[in-house]
Amino acid sequence: MSDIGTPPYVVNIGPQHPSTHGVFRLKVTLDGERIIDAEMVLGYLHRSMEKLAEERTYTQNIPFTDRMDYLAAMTGNLGYCLSAEKLADVEVPERASYLRVIFAELQRIASHCMANGTFVNDCGAWQTPLMYMFREREKILDLFEMTCGARLTTNYMRIGGVAFDVPDEWYPSINKLMAEMPDRISEYEEMLHDNEILLARSRDVGVLRPDVAINASVSGPVLRGCGIAWDIRKADPYCVYDRFDFDIPVGHNGDCFDRFLVRLEEMRQSVRIIKQALEQLPGGPVTTPVPLALRPEPGEAYARIESPKGELGFYLASDGGPAPYRWHVRSPSFINLSVLKELSVGLSIADAIVTLGSLDINVGEIDR
Amino acid sequence: MRAVIAAWYDFDPFHELYEWIGDVTSSEELVYVIIAVVGATGILSFVGLGALANVWLERKIIGRIQVRRGPNRVGPGGLLQPVADAIKLIQKEVLQPRASDGKLYNLPPILVFIPAMLTFAVFAWAPDMVYADLNVGVLYLLALSSVTSLAIFMAGWASNNKYALLGAMRVIAMAVSYEIPMVLALLAPVLFTGTMSIPGIVDFQRSNDIWLAFMLPLPVFIYAISATAELNRTPADIAEAESEIVAGFHTEYSGMKFGLFYAVELINSLAVSGILASLFFGGYSLFGIDEYIPPWIIFIGKIYFFYFGLIWLRGTWPRLRIDQLMAFSWKMLIPLALINIGVVSAEVLIWRLNELDSWIFWVYALINLVMMFVLLQFFFTMLTKNFYRLPRRATLVHDISVPSLPAPSTLNQGGNA
Amino acid sequence: MDDTAVVVAFYVLSAITLISALMVAVVRDIIHAVLFLILSFIGVAGLYITLSADFVAVVQVLIYAGAISVLMIFAVLLTPRSDRDNAPVSYAAPLSVLAGLLGAVIIFVGLDTDWRQVEGDRFGQTAAEIGQALLDPYALPFEVASIVLVVAMIGAIILVRPGDEEA
Repeated sequence: MSDIGTPPYVVNIGPQHPSTHGVFRLKVTLDGERIIDAEMVLGYLHRSMEKLAEERTYTQNIPFTDRMDYLAAMTGNLGYCLSAEKLADVEVPERASYLRVIFAELQRIASHCMANGTFVNDCGAWQTPLMYMFREREKILDLFEMTCGARLTTNYMRIGGVAFDVPDEWYPSINKLMAEMPDRISEYEEMLHDNEILLARSRDVGVLRPDVAINASVSGPVLRGCGIAWDIRKADPYCVYDRFDFDIPVGHNGDCFDRFLVRLEEMRQSVRIIKQALEQLPGGPVTTPVPLALRPEPGEAYARIESPKGELGFYLASDGGPAPYRWHVRSPSFINLSVLKELSVGLSIADAIVTLGSLDINVGEIDR
Repeated sequence: MRAVIAAWYDFDPFHELYEWIGDVTSSEELVYVIIAVVGATGILSFVGLGALANVWLERKIIGRIQVRRGPNRVGPGGLLQPVADAIKLIQKEVLQPRASDGKLYNLPPILVFIPAMLTFAVFAWAPDMVYADLNVGVLYLLALSSVTSLAIFMAGWASNNKYALLGAMRVIAMAVSYEIPMVLALLAPVLFTGTMSIPGIVDFQRSNDIWLAFMLPLPVFIYAISATAELNRTPADIAEAESEIVAGFHTEYSGMKFGLFYAVELINSLAVSGILASLFFGGYSLFGIDEYIPPWIIFIGKIYFFYFGLIWLRGTWPRLRIDQLMAFSWKMLIPLALINIGVVSAEVLIWRLNELDSWIFWVYALINLVMMFVLLQFFFTMLTKNFYRLPRRATLVHDISVPSLPAPSTLNQGGNA
Repeated sequence: MDDTAVVVAFYVLSAITLISALMVAVVRDIIHAVLFLILSFIGVAGLYITLSADFVAVVQVLIYAGAISVLMIFAVLLTPRSDRDNAPVSYAAPLSVLAGLLGAVIIFVGLDTDWRQVEGDRFGQTAAEIGQALLDPYALPFEVASIVLVVAMIGAIILVRPGDEEA
């Protein structure tokens, strides 16, 4: 009986693949349909941002953060500006902090729409839930365009505040959107949480144990899907998050479906935060004037935020010059990706793709 | 008025043409050959136009399901989109991998087209418009669908590509598994009508004024799902699961060869809809209206109604994994089909032995409907009870809490760090 | 065997069947051999149709070309690549002579026999008659065949089960 069998063979889920979420290569060794080994090859999108940043001033580096996690530009901007403000000891006006929170939460909703949509797309639904979720994402991107002129690479936050104040037509739009958003999220939930095919594809697939997650320093919805309630917005509040009342959704099992549920529920909580922020939005200036070539005191600062993908941390070291001496990004996708090998051994290729989709990585952030 | 309509759909000018040829040449074979050629041209033109129309229908309807319009640039309402697609595919570069299998690489697009075309020969488009009234029509249809899967395997093998071979293996494994419930499901109408010829089954439904779908809801369900799997359409389209293995068995085919595979999928969908319409839903008969409207229009209408159902399924559901599909076929569809055959045989026996009238059919309809609901509920609960043991909503926690857990003994063991 | 069409069809189908059967033995790549075998199955189905055996013809396509060839393909794909060569072997020549002699004997006996031509309904209800025959005179072989199939299925399931004992 041991003669009947096939030798293991290596399949390249290559850089060009419709569902690797960017240029990312996964070499899997298959035995039949089961994966027995997985090797990840990264670096196809490396643009050496951290090195280029050493030649540019602190403000000139903000567009780099747009392009790292290109699906969550606002939060990238926010983290970098917080780190630079910590380094240079700059005060941020209150209105700017509230606007930052509103835009970060809007970005979270948009990014989760995309993440959940592409996750169900990986499970095989030919883009139907993706198109539904893109409706809301389009409206949010319209809000961004109203404010800062760009939809994707927003470059909105500045060191000391935000770049522009919101125009007058922004208020009715966002109020209307926040009024209809809970219904939409309920619609997504109704469409998807009972679908047996989606459950069959993602329940008990890619189960991440809590101890493995903590030891791999996984963060974000991946960590919360395992049942661990850890959110930087509550653990280490930045901006004005400590003034809002919101909950942290956690999953039960750590499988792909739980991460999907956690992201869906986080959208609701974001709507809650935005509504509270809109009520409390004060007047005042939106930025503290900061010199063009900011020269902070020599030292180092590390600021972390809860981006839609997880804990996004920015480490800045200054030597007194206009450009940072060293800039390092702790990207959540890179850290979260490290558990992919552990998760995918024993699964079939289809399950591995679904797991990869549920980890919600962004290769721009991994490779920088 | 009725005479004019009858003349229209019986194509009287053709009858006169045949008689004239028969008189002039006094050879029966020539008339037979000419009738065959004319009929084949008619059916094949329907198939070709159907393929074009299906491209447009599919994209528009899926677009609407996805809250967007479909193609609307090329021609009014996007109607010329299939033409644009065909032209685009024809003018593409013909790439053949050097390591592929020579002539074996070029055959499958043609071979997969042949069974698709042959299926339309046995349909009854009108009471006397049947191209080939085979005595074994139902079996003939099943044989054709099993040959299609072989051609797909050939395509996957000849491409010399691991993805394509994976797709091809999945296809034949699935085709073989889903043939069995399909055969068993199609056996039920044959049992009731006592004939395997499709015009005979349609005639039975018309003369007894009942659609076999009312009497046999479970075989309709089983056949619809098995046919979707045989067609490699979502939710069973693992053969070409774009998000996993790029394009499955037709990864290495470019240009019109891929166009032929795509067209064959659409034509096969029409064929399956045609089988559903003929065998279960009355074919060309519509409770008497078929004396005023040409029956072939009714038949084509039914075909497109079921094709719309297939498109709806494609736009709505995610796809299942291969082992889940196999489990579904072997553990659920085959037991259901076998139970159904047992019950249906008993019903047919009671009907035939006692020479009952056709009112008994409605009684059977009620019994079979109840049986279907009970059986489906039982099987679904048995297969999916694992999914509902955990809540399907995330729990909301207000404050952070990290449990203290022991470190795992192994993490990424044996990795090439 | 009266119509010219039937005679022509017979010769064409026989040519297809015989040539593809020959190619099965001759062709180098074993997957090609399986594909030629499928072609010969379909040729045989055509020959059945010339004999007015429509049910047998369709079942031939459905079972042989549909299922048994799939079995053979799986079997070929499970053999390691090194054993997949269909190259001519050293004993090919004497074996082909023997096969030729056997074929000649069969052809001679076939031509010499006084075949009985059954005059019957050309395209009658073959399926119904086969069904009747299976239940009335030939019920015992039918049941025995069913038992053999069930035993084979159970055996197959036991063979491939991932059991604890290593065979």
